[in-house]
Amino acid sequence: MSWRLPKLVPRSAPVVLLVLTLAAATGFAAVSHLVARYNANQQSRGRKLYARGTAAAGAARYDEAIAAFRAALTCDPTNSQYQLSLARALRDSNDPRRLDEAESYLIALWQRSPQDAAVNLALARVAAHRGSIEDATRYYHNAMYGAWSSDPDSNRNRARVELIQFLLKKGASANAESELVALSTSLPPDPRAHLQAAQLFEEAQDYSGALTQYREVLRLDPSNSFALAGAGEAAYQSGNYSIAQHYLQAAVNANSQDANARELLAITDLVLRNNPFHSHISDAERNRRITAAFAQAEKRLTECARQTGVDLSAASTTSASPLAGLQSRWTATKPDLVHLRSAAETDLPDAVMDVVFQIERQTAATCGPPQGIDQALLLISKKREAAIQ
Amino acid sequence: MSTLSSGNSPENSSQAPVARVRIPERLFLTLEGVFQEEVFFLILSVFIGIFSGLAVVCFRLAIDWMHLALLGPLPQTHGWRLFAVPAIAGLAVAVLVLRVFPGIRGSGVNQTKAALYIFNGFIPFRTAVGKFICAALAIGSGQSLGPEDPSLQIGASIASALGRQLKISREKLRLMAPVGAAAGLAAAFNAPISAVLFVIEEVIGRWSAGILGSVVLSAVSSVVIVRWFLGSEPLFRIPVTTFKRPTELVAYAVLGIVGGLASVIFAKSVSYLRPMLKALPRWTQYFQPAFAGLLVGLIAFLGAPQIMGAGYDSMDQAMHGQYAWKLLAILAILKIVATTVSFVSGTPGGMFAPTLFIGAMLGGAVGDIERIFFPHLTGSTGTYVLVGMGVLFAGFLRVPMTSVFMVLEVSGNYEIIVPVIVANTFSYLVSRSLQRIPIFDLLTRQDGLVLPSLEEEREEAILRVEDAMLPVPAVILSAEDYVDANARRIQDSPDPAFLVRMHSSGWSAIKREQLQRLFQEGKGELTLGSVLPSQPLPILYPDLPLDSALRYVDDYPLVPVVNRANSLQLEGVISRDSVFVKYRS
Repeated sequence: MSWRLPKLVPRSAPVVLLVLTLAAATGFAAVSHLVARYNANQQSRGRKLYARGTAAAGAARYDEAIAAFRAALTCDPTNSQYQLSLARALRDSNDPRRLDEAESYLIALWQRSPQDAAVNLALARVAAHRGSIEDATRYYHNAMYGAWSSDPDSNRNRARVELIQFLLKKGASANAESELVALSTSLPPDPRAHLQAAQLFEEAQDYSGALTQYREVLRLDPSNSFALAGAGEAAYQSGNYSIAQHYLQAAVNANSQDANARELLAITDLVLRNNPFHSHISDAERNRRITAAFAQAEKRLTECARQTGVDLSAASTTSASPLAGLQSRWTATKPDLVHLRSAAETDLPDAVMDVVFQIERQTAATCGPPQGIDQALLLISKKREAAIQ
Repeated sequence: MSTLSSGNSPENSSQAPVARVRIPERLFLTLEGVFQEEVFFLILSVFIGIFSGLAVVCFRLAIDWMHLALLGPLPQTHGWRLFAVPAIAGLAVAVLVLRVFPGIRGSGVNQTKAALYIFNGFIPFRTAVGKFICAALAIGSGQSLGPEDPSLQIGASIASALGRQLKISREKLRLMAPVGAAAGLAAAFNAPISAVLFVIEEVIGRWSAGILGSVVLSAVSSVVIVRWFLGSEPLFRIPVTTFKRPTELVAYAVLGIVGGLASVIFAKSVSYLRPMLKALPRWTQYFQPAFAGLLVGLIAFLGAPQIMGAGYDSMDQAMHGQYAWKLLAILAILKIVATTVSFVSGTPGGMFAPTLFIGAMLGGAVGDIERIFFPHLTGSTGTYVLVGMGVLFAGFLRVPMTSVFMVLEVSGNYEIIVPVIVANTFSYLVSRSLQRIPIFDLLTRQDGLVLPSLEEEREEAILRVEDAMLPVPAVILSAEDYVDANARRIQDSPDPAFLVRMHSSGWSAIKREQLQRLFQEGKGELTLGSVLPSQPLPILYPDLPLDSALRYVDDYPLVPVVNRANSLQLEGVISRDSVFVKYRS
């Protein structure tokens, strides 16, 4: 059996070229039609596979999702959404070997549209998985300033929040704080957004920033008990005990079940009642507080010595224990208490309280965190130290 | 004036006279240049590229469609289809190959080469049809073969059919197959440079400006067509590849050596098993592709579905470090086994993709192992995978230049050119020293054809004019001297012929008897230049092939060999005797 192409008529070159051109055009049209149909089928199949992959990824079945997304991509190799989803599944599968492939897909997408915020965000997350602060920050910033297909403002804020959380996790507090400042200026008038920002400020140990955000929440939602408690705690942590008392009291009033607020309120009350450096108290009250603190310090010292087995009376001069040294200082200072009323002894309150503070700090270090009035005295010492500095 | 002359099939090449049909002259009044055969051939090359590109697009769709229809969209492990489908498809392919499309076994590179050297460019069009159907069925069903070589043959077959239909001259018809082959391969690889180089290096075997233009045009136009329809996405997503320290070349050299050894094992397996299976009774050939499919399917079923088909997806994943070195090594070994059985069973399909696959896996495995022992190595797995592809290409297919450019073209990264060259060189040398005959030549010889081995030709010493050149003669006559003076000068010389220096136009020559006759005829008062023919002697240069002297030595007693910078500066002379003495030696 011998197959031949049918004999064509043309023998002259122009006719040959014309026939060839017509044949090419016909072939082109036929293949176009074929490819279009094939692509339509493939795209339909790709959509089904993509849906299957999305469902699997949603259920954290990443291997299944990856297989489905890969198959979807074979149906529609240039589909950015499929590539992005595959990259996300590869990244989220917690297999370090897959990060390279995820990154490769994302880099290809990024090269195609470097302004695409979703791609930049995915790249940022890959970089975050790798722990690269520099790359993650760059891609998060690209995402923040990139083009979002919908709801750009909240997406940008979410990206910044994610960056802040990553920076905090990596211990880059300074970078996180600068991002927080930027975040606080771009938040919408939404209590939840400000509440989240306040918590991030707290994580960054920027309590004044947190307090500002909680106040903003309360401005928008005055009865928000969570914000009341948060504001109270932020004020408490930043040493603003009067403000803390105000918010904590309100928080307890709003939610009497809030044990943490109640506990903080109790300590705050103790601080306010026992702080001899409070500006609105009389000299007599100040002296009373100093005397009471001095006596409390001795009790704390004795109790701590007992716990640790240090004999303060026997070893006051020879023991190497710091508690013994403090006992000596306390004993040496005690006679001076009678001079508290003297107008000439202006440095004496500080000197006496210095002994008290040293005892509280040392006993806290030796015997663990104090409770009650000792805790209050320790907080007063920190506040005093911060005020001096 | 150009003519389009009829081409010949193997059946009629010996007896049928070449029928020439003249194109009406008036048509050339305005388009004369366009329709000269050389130019027409170039234009035809573009059409060949277009038709081949269209065919390859359809071929790729057919493979994808077969794969989806037979194996399903999702990769499966342990599914019954994995071993059932390749086996059943193998039976169908065997029936088609043996009953309907004889002569489409194997890759197609050899057939294209045979068309060029033996069959005057003739490749039956049914070969394209058969190759299309059977290779699509085989590859789509998971046989461990690739689509590139069939694409090459489909392109060559289309070109040959077109050339015959247009009745172009036999000389051009011979070149149609390589032109179509380049188009088919370029379309399949989406890599025109590699395709051109492969066809030049492996099929044609020489650089010729005439054919090069056509090959490039057809390759580029076919790639344009494929990109138009299927997009310009590369075969692989290339990861970041790095080469920082020159000392790391040692690591790539090791990869080259390992790749060379793997190439030899692969080539020897194919060349050993193929004649054995062909020698079995004919009825067994109906079952050989099925058996191959069963084995491939079994390997896939037992946990390595990556070895099925061309395997580009798996190469892509290997490039991105998805496989540990043990899996990479196992996949390389299994792919050698699977491809060997698929190919030797006579299933139509190509060796290019499997070669790349084996190289990729081997490269990744060697790279990972090297990094375990030498953690300071900076090359990523992707880099080793890419280099590994070139290594197997150089070692197995024995196309060193194509292998380098293929990696560069596929990766688009010139940073790894040095590792690629180093590794490929080692692979080529190891392979060549352990397996003298390249795989394609070996397969051709197994089929009973003797085609020129291009590798041997490349390395064959060429005789040059300088090898047969005689020293500058003692007596050189001057055209400005009188005949009698020149006659006196030759009296003491035993030479039968003498060169004459023509100051204005180069060189001439005169025999002793001629000069003496002129003297006896009383022309002694004339200058020698005035009695010699005005046409000067042809000249040769020392570096020209000796063959080029053959066309002159019968007509002229002496041919001057001159300096290329100064044609009057004589380097020596060539005579008929000196040429034949050299050839006989």
